Amino acid sequence: MASQPSPPTKQGIAVRLAKFRETGIIMFIILLVIAVSLRSPYFLTLENFRDILMNISILAIVALAQTMVIITRGIDLSVGSMIGLVAMMVAFVIKAHPGTSPIIAVLLGMALGSVLGSFNGVIITAGRVPPIIATLGTLSVYRGMVFLYSEGTWINAFEMSPSFKSLAKGTPLGLPNLVIFALVVGVIVYYFLNYTRPGRDIYAVGSNPEAAQVAGIRVQRIIFMVYVISGLLCGLAGVLWASRFEAAQTNTALGFELQTVAASVVGGVNIFGGSGTVTGVLLGAFLLGIINNALTLIRISPFWQLAAQGALILLAVIVDSAILRRLQKSIAVARRAS
Amino acid sequence: MADHPLLELRGVSKRFGAVQALSKVDFETRAGEVMALVGDNGAGKSTLIKGIAGIYPFDEGEIYFDGNKVTIHGPRDAAALGIEVVYQDLALADNLDVVANMFLGREKKKSFWRLDEASMEKECVATLDSLSVTTLRSVRLPVASLSGGQRQAIAVAKAVMRNSRLVILDEPTAALGVAQTRQVLDLVRRLADKGLGVILISHNLHDIFEVADRITVLRLGQKVAQFVASETTQQEVVHAITAGTLSHVPGMVVEE
Repeated sequence: MASQPSPPTKQGIAVRLAKFRETGIIMFIILLVIAVSLRSPYFLTLENFRDILMNISILAIVALAQTMVIITRGIDLSVGSMIGLVAMMVAFVIKAHPGTSPIIAVLLGMALGSVLGSFNGVIITAGRVPPIIATLGTLSVYRGMVFLYSEGTWINAFEMSPSFKSLAKGTPLGLPNLVIFALVVGVIVYYFLNYTRPGRDIYAVGSNPEAAQVAGIRVQRIIFMVYVISGLLCGLAGVLWASRFEAAQTNTALGFELQTVAASVVGGVNIFGGSGTVTGVLLGAFLLGIINNALTLIRISPFWQLAAQGALILLAVIVDSAILRRLQKSIAVARRAS
Repeated sequence: MADHPLLELRGVSKRFGAVQALSKVDFETRAGEVMALVGDNGAGKSTLIKGIAGIYPFDEGEIYFDGNKVTIHGPRDAAALGIEVVYQDLALADNLDVVANMFLGREKKKSFWRLDEASMEKECVATLDSLSVTTLRSVRLPVASLSGGQRQAIAVAKAVMRNSRLVILDEPTAALGVAQTRQVLDLVRRLADKGLGVILISHNLHDIFEVADRITVLRLGQKVAQFVASETTQQEVVHAITAGTLSHVPGMVVEE
């Protein structure tokens, strides 16, 4: 009967684990933590984990934005340039008006980011340009605007007000503000994707655009929306970036888009759209953070680090899909047996 | 039965660029009957139902629903009238579960910011039960994991759920095995017996003679015949499909 869910007692542990999509990545994280902590006693300290969280917070925020875009079968390659442009513009404002409240700076950054994101959205929906091409174009355009706007100069720590610098690093709530920002964004995006209609529509559009269309969902509007959200969160990330690194340079967040895609994919987001979870992406960002941190701690030569990082990301994705396949097989077996 | 048809189209036409997909078609269906719509590939069946559903609104012609003249400019207009379409390609979102698919595009909300999952699940289960769809293990499974027949049942149930008055089925049995075809045809009959209007598109005349009350034949974008199923034969219908007399000459050479 449709009304009777299968009794949980019949399900083995493997079956219950497999229903939790993030099993693979969690197991990989555990294995990595054990391996690294054997080599470096400092790794498993609170201080070190605070460092890791600080380092991945901005990545987590932007990876969540990237995830929403990828779920709709799109991709936003301009995130790094949007972060760089917003960081530069907000830093200039802070330099000119040192009295600016950090909250105003955050709001200004998000507004600027939304404008940049809506350009992407217009090009993709009204211009009918494939997202990968459109955002590849604005990747260059926005980065070019950083140079034009700054005329090649940069903003240094001494040109920023103390209140702005404490925006990311202050700890009035125990944890660094940066981590709090990431957690809040995580909670909001989680709620948005799982409990609201536009969130549901994002999955529908990515899962089957024609079905979404005939169901009366305004597909182009949803697609426009995710690029605006992406810009908005990149705006937030740009302000936090300038505050955390106490600088805005022409190469701020250069190449960051690839890390956000990596975090999403490692976190189980389907690159062809339709599926992906907030928990998965946060774990993906966390895994990337652990990898970077561990490679330094166990003194891998800097010449090797980038290659090792890439290799570990590939390994994580392979292990994840292998575990997932095995667990799904055991579900199928359990189903036939019951 | 009401003395006016549930849905009546008068002289509807649709053109895609140089192709006249429909020219001056009259069509009607009544509540409580299964009206079959048949024709060869390219006859205009899909264009006709997409016009009714508001996907590709007609270029000209009039639509009467329940005796009143209406305009259908988009899927929402059609849904507001109680017209629901079950598409050939199912139009299900594979990654979403059964409940989410049943309510796709019209989710129930507790508030502006909150979906009402509990009541959606309850209504979903009730609808499936009322249609005697009992083979599902859980309504929280992603539809990708269901069989072809189950998916078709979900698609049909989705169409019925919102107190629809006219259900259009586009080749509902095309991809199904014998037993599953049987189930779906039973379901089609039950819809009509409930008092809904049903338009059934199929290439399978055997299926059609099993459930349809009347049959409309399209050929090259024109209506060439209409039969009462119990008073005609498969041969007669086949003849109309392949060689029915066109009432007016198309303004261009129609190519396959």
